[in-house]
Amino acid sequence: MTQRHILIFIISLLIHFSVNSQQLDKEQVEEKEQDSVKTKISYAIRVGVDISKPIISFLDEDSKGLEFTGDMRMVNNYFAVVELGFEDVLKTEDYLNFTTKGSYIKLGVNYNAYDNWIGMNNQIYIGARYAFSFFEHTLNSYTPNVSGTYFISDSVNAGTKFTDLNAHWLEFLFGMKVETFKNIFLGAQFSVKKMISSKEPENFKNLYVPGFNRVFSNDLGVGFNYTISYNLPIFNKYK
Amino acid sequence: MKKYITLLVLAFVLIISCEKDDICLENTTPNLMLKFYDFENDTLIKTIKIDSIRVLNKGLISNYTAKSFDSILIPLDVNQYTTSYQITSENTSDTIYFSYDRNDVFVSRSCGYNTNFENLTIDSTTNNWIKAYNINTTIIDNDTTAHINIYH
Repeated sequence: MTQRHILIFIISLLIHFSVNSQQLDKEQVEEKEQDSVKTKISYAIRVGVDISKPIISFLDEDSKGLEFTGDMRMVNNYFAVVELGFEDVLKTEDYLNFTTKGSYIKLGVNYNAYDNWIGMNNQIYIGARYAFSFFEHTLNSYTPNVSGTYFISDSVNAGTKFTDLNAHWLEFLFGMKVETFKNIFLGAQFSVKKMISSKEPENFKNLYVPGFNRVFSNDLGVGFNYTISYNLPIFNKYK
Repeated sequence: MKKYITLLVLAFVLIISCEKDDICLENTTPNLMLKFYDFENDTLIKTIKIDSIRVLNKGLISNYTAKSFDSILIPLDVNQYTTSYQITSENTSDTIYFSYDRNDVFVSRSCGYNTNFENLTIDSTTNNWIKAYNINTTIIDNDTTAHINIYH
């Protein structure tokens, strides 16, 4: 009799535990499901301005320029980028002095290689651009290059204008963008450029191209920008 | 991280591979080359003993003591359209009056512009030791070939 009672007690106790444990499992599963539902990917247009150019303009009165940038996430870690700018610079070389004025547009893609924590939007990226620039030069003055000192050549105030010039080139770059305040990003980027083709002036050369900067003798160029940009959220996608 | 190092190295190599074009290595404004021939036999080069070369009313370019030359290179004035040279040989002086047009030709960033001379003519010469001359080319854009033959 007592043995039977003891058995019933143990069995009911076991049943109780098993039921309870099942309920616990169910709760855990529900929690997990709720958690995995909301992975937010925000799509936004980030608009910015290159702040290095106004600083250089302020320090060096020979160069004026402005550049605006914009980028937007397309798929996964790929961002479409556009950069627009203009420049008006005076360049002095050993035997000549010229002004270049013009605008440029750069279109391309950035690939973000940085693995963000959820909710962060920082970037360390590599990218490529196709760029087009249209510009004009004014040859302010030059001194004919004469060897020897018997005749000293006078400086010629030419004032010759070389208009309707253009150039297009490719850029490869790397850079980073860091969210310093909410939706405010600071970015720095360094690029190497290779000229594809350019319309050269007659009896002069494209020594400087807006957006390309100084044209080195094997058609290579380098550049950098330092941007401050604002993230303009458009819509969020949940995954 | 390895990816970025590769990229940095690549960028660095690209930058240092940029040719330096800050130093002018091309030819500058050409000089006028005079070559001296025998008047009796105009295919025969005949050296001349020169004492001095100068532009009229200007200092001496060079001062020699009867040094022999078969040709000389002299600069033309890039600020004027005429240059007059006085060449003294064995105590006799002759003056040659050159006139020309100028054409400035772009060379490179570091060299700037060279002046080439065109339509070179000899307006007149005195004939103390110079007996005749011949202009081989009226365009002076290099100084490797003789532009003017002088017979003496």
